[in-house]
Amino acid sequence: MRFNHSGIKVGRTRLEQPMMDVWSHRPQILHLALFFAAYVLGCGFAQALAIVPGITVSIWPPAGVFIATLILTSPYSWPWWVLAGCLAEMTGQILWFHSPPLAGFLIYVGNALCAIVGATLVNRAFGRPVRLETLREVLAFVVLGAGVAPLMSATVGSATLAWFGVKSQTFAGVWPLFWIGDATGILLVAPLALVVIQHWRNRTKFSAVRWVEAGSLGLIFLGLAALSLKHDFLLSAYIIMPPILWAAVRFEFKGVAVALTLLALVTMTLTISGGSQFVGDPETQRQKQVMLQLFLAISAFSALIVAAISRQHQQALLALRDREQELSQLVDMVPVHIRRLTPEGKPTFFNKRLLDFFGMSDIAQLDKPDMNRLAAAIQTLVHPDDAPRLLATVHTSLATGESFAMKYRMRRADGAYRWVDGRGEAVRDQHGAIMQWYAISIDVDDEMRAQEDLRDRERELSQLVDMVPSLLWRLSPNGEPNFFNKRTIDFLGLDVADYDKPGASRLKATLTAIIHPDDAAGMIQTLNRCLVSGEHFSMQYRLRRADGLYRWVSARAEPLRDESGHIVQWYGLAHDIDDQMRAEEALRGLAITAIALNACRSLDEVLRTITDRAREIIGAHMAVIGTTVDQRWAQAIQAVSLSQKYAAYRGFDAKPDGSGIYGLVCNLNRSLRLTEAELKDHPAWRGYGGHADQHPPLRGWLAAPLIDSNGQNIGLLQLSDKDQGEFTAEDEGIAVQLAQMASLAITEARLHDKLRLAQETLARASQAASLAELSASVAHEVNQPLAAIVANSHACQRWLTAEPPNLDRAQKTVERIIRDANSAADVVSRIRALFKQSAETRTSMPLDSVIAEALNLMAEETARRRIRLDVDVESDLPLVSLDRVQIQQVLVNLIRNGMEAMDAAANDRLLGIRTRRLGDVVQTEITDQGPGVAFSDRIFEPFFTTKGNGMGMGLAICRSIVEAHGGRLWADKNEPYGAMFAFTLPVEMNRST
Amino acid sequence: MTKRRPVVAVVDDDPRLLESLEDLLESAGYAARTFSSAHLFLVNGLSGFDALITDIGMPDMDGFELRDLVIKSRPGLPVFMITGRHEIADQSRAQGISGFFRKPFDGQLLLAAIGDALPESKHGGRT
Repeated sequence: MRFNHSGIKVGRTRLEQPMMDVWSHRPQILHLALFFAAYVLGCGFAQALAIVPGITVSIWPPAGVFIATLILTSPYSWPWWVLAGCLAEMTGQILWFHSPPLAGFLIYVGNALCAIVGATLVNRAFGRPVRLETLREVLAFVVLGAGVAPLMSATVGSATLAWFGVKSQTFAGVWPLFWIGDATGILLVAPLALVVIQHWRNRTKFSAVRWVEAGSLGLIFLGLAALSLKHDFLLSAYIIMPPILWAAVRFEFKGVAVALTLLALVTMTLTISGGSQFVGDPETQRQKQVMLQLFLAISAFSALIVAAISRQHQQALLALRDREQELSQLVDMVPVHIRRLTPEGKPTFFNKRLLDFFGMSDIAQLDKPDMNRLAAAIQTLVHPDDAPRLLATVHTSLATGESFAMKYRMRRADGAYRWVDGRGEAVRDQHGAIMQWYAISIDVDDEMRAQEDLRDRERELSQLVDMVPSLLWRLSPNGEPNFFNKRTIDFLGLDVADYDKPGASRLKATLTAIIHPDDAAGMIQTLNRCLVSGEHFSMQYRLRRADGLYRWVSARAEPLRDESGHIVQWYGLAHDIDDQMRAEEALRGLAITAIALNACRSLDEVLRTITDRAREIIGAHMAVIGTTVDQRWAQAIQAVSLSQKYAAYRGFDAKPDGSGIYGLVCNLNRSLRLTEAELKDHPAWRGYGGHADQHPPLRGWLAAPLIDSNGQNIGLLQLSDKDQGEFTAEDEGIAVQLAQMASLAITEARLHDKLRLAQETLARASQAASLAELSASVAHEVNQPLAAIVANSHACQRWLTAEPPNLDRAQKTVERIIRDANSAADVVSRIRALFKQSAETRTSMPLDSVIAEALNLMAEETARRRIRLDVDVESDLPLVSLDRVQIQQVLVNLIRNGMEAMDAAANDRLLGIRTRRLGDVVQTEITDQGPGVAFSDRIFEPFFTTKGNGMGMGLAICRSIVEAHGGRLWADKNEPYGAMFAFTLPVEMNRST
Repeated sequence: MTKRRPVVAVVDDDPRLLESLEDLLESAGYAARTFSSAHLFLVNGLSGFDALITDIGMPDMDGFELRDLVIKSRPGLPVFMITGRHEIADQSRAQGISGFFRKPFDGQLLLAAIGDALPESKHGGRT
């Protein structure tokens, strides 16, 4: 090999590969030696059993050794075994057979062919490794290995013997002996060799009983063998068969191998000792040999077949047990509770998991004396709330044969109840009859609890959604409303399904029903645009409440998108801004009204404007202003504003008599707000006078009193029959403000009237100041607050129209307007007092009381200015005819002038008042210690003033008044400093005399 | 926001009118500073104002005198005069003066006049 390996390169691949394989597969020397020894031993055994002289063998055990060896080894190693076999057989030839060497070699060639063919066929037939475990394998081995293969050796061996004429044997005569001898050798030895070699290491341990059995079997076998094979002792050698078959059944191939070995050894011993029944006279020798061969072959054959059958049976049993165990493990392993019930419903099996769950070791623990096991089990192991239902369900299924499924709670060993999903199904035989029931349950407790939690959370969320003080809704991507929160449903008072109308989309139908007709089209258009484009929706519109009222809401909607940006839902929110909207509107309305009043040319126009505006701002069908003079309705001025609903009453001008609810408001001098029901029940309400039959019912009634600057009631502003709902507190506030505007306008108008009268009187009585001059002065005094009012009104308007409206500033400005308007009224009121003059008011009285009154009026101011008074009024003054208020005004005016003149004086502020009779006049002098008077004549001209805040009218008017009384007013220097004003009033002659 | 709001000075001896004019001017986006007499206004100094509104009939120094003083030191400053005495408005010295308003005056017209006199001011107050 080395030579080839290193020297010859050509053709190396062809030849070298098998050579290399043969070399690399060379068996261990020990194995070769054992093989050699066994072969030689087999040869010796064959020689010992040779009965017929010249025919070397009756049994040829080396054939079995050879074929078994080749079966177990790789074909690549076969050349080594063939070589070893050759050496062994040649050794046998030399030791025992003494055939010519060539004949011996040829016979060996036949033997080698037999082994090679047999091993090849057997390996081909059932592949490696050969186990001889099934009947099929044993049959294949017997037929191919023990039947077919010896054909080769028998033919070659017989031909060789015949050719060489060894012991004068003929081919036909020796061939059968040769074949049976080889076959028997193979049958006897090959299984033994295979079993021994294969099971050399994994030898199973026998139990003591098995050893005893094996031992007894061995004794019986040996005894029986000795007896049966003994010459003529028993009828047949085949008596030995039962123990052999026993060994085959109980110990399978091992038993067979041992038994056949023993049989062969016993046979050999007896044959050698000549005690065998197969040893006979030369005439029967050939027949006896065949009988021996057949006996051994049949024994071996039978034992092998029985062993194979036994083995196969054992294997099947083992496999079955494995499968059962596997199934049982599976049943216990799956995370499912499994029970088996009889067709009547009695539980007969719980899997381990279920027993563990209940904390039981055996199903029989469930039994109760007076109850069947099913009922007992359910009562004990199932939650009391679920047990009756489960029992009924199972009973129904048992009765009908239908499977069942139910979720219920089972009590675990620790007492906790777990939700399970249970199902039961019947197992039927081929004819459909129920054999048993299988019921399983799966623990679904976590899922159930998760679902419960989810439901809880959903409920919480839904409560939260309902708690939000807004209207929430949800639309599908194409605008189908599919959710309204409770507040929305309460607000709209609708079931969403109510608005399903054929022919119109649900959204449009819904919106048309709930949105103010003026807003609906625009809103639907905007919303549709948003639905198409996906942009946010934001809008204000009026929504119809369940009671039919429309409320302003501010609504928003936004799409919810999925990860890919597709709109999944629309979420919308609307909140009620009606109060806010109305407050804004009302404030705007008030400001506009205030400005509009400036443009009014007459009181009638003012009142008409106020009633119209009041009706518009508050939203009522009727507004009325009724005024009184000294609480007398007969002189009332009426302004009425009526909606279209009351068009028929526009000619109605019956004056109220003040005895009803109008009178009540004026007497209380407080606003009054009544619902329709309250009005009907009100004691002061007397229907509609004589028109109750024609008058539509009033939806609410609201009145605010008109109050003049002295707090006296001068009438009321009244609204009735609100457009929507009842009058609110806000409405009342607005009415009060409008009533105040009307009050101012009326007061002012009345003062204007009186002023005009006073001016006329003054013009008649006094030539001191022209009417034009007076009016200019008065106008200035009134224009001052008016200018402020107008400027404030404009400012207010600007605050309101700003974007966004500045309501705080507007509110503040309106308050100033009211304040300034009141102040304007005050101016007028003061002027009125100055100019009031009528003959009726002249009375005869002593001047000292008038002076005392004037000083009383001035007391507070005197104290404030820290003025010291020096009053010197002569007693027993004669009566004078005078207008008390006017003379009082003159006094007040002169006293105030004097006090003001001393404002800057740091020294003693002394104001003197001295009154005395000088002939037919009463003269009063008022002296101060101020800077004095520079232009003693000019100071009496109208509008001449030395004071910052004076109107320059005081002295002019005072002179007018005094002169109107027939007196004189002048100024002079006071000694040592200051000014002195003096006036006289004529003594009433007829009284004094 | 960085742009300064025009500042208008208002001089009147009537606090109600000062208040209302301040409100009106603020509503139109101006800053207003009010003075109850010409004297106080002059003490404060003329700088920092974009226009002056003054009453005519005031003690000590009247609106005409104040106007003359102001125009001397700040010739371009727009001056608006308001009066409650219509006879003054008829006087010869008031003739031909554009910024002249009788009380009660129209707030919008006054704002418009101020807006015209301050051409550089383009703020959004005058809407």
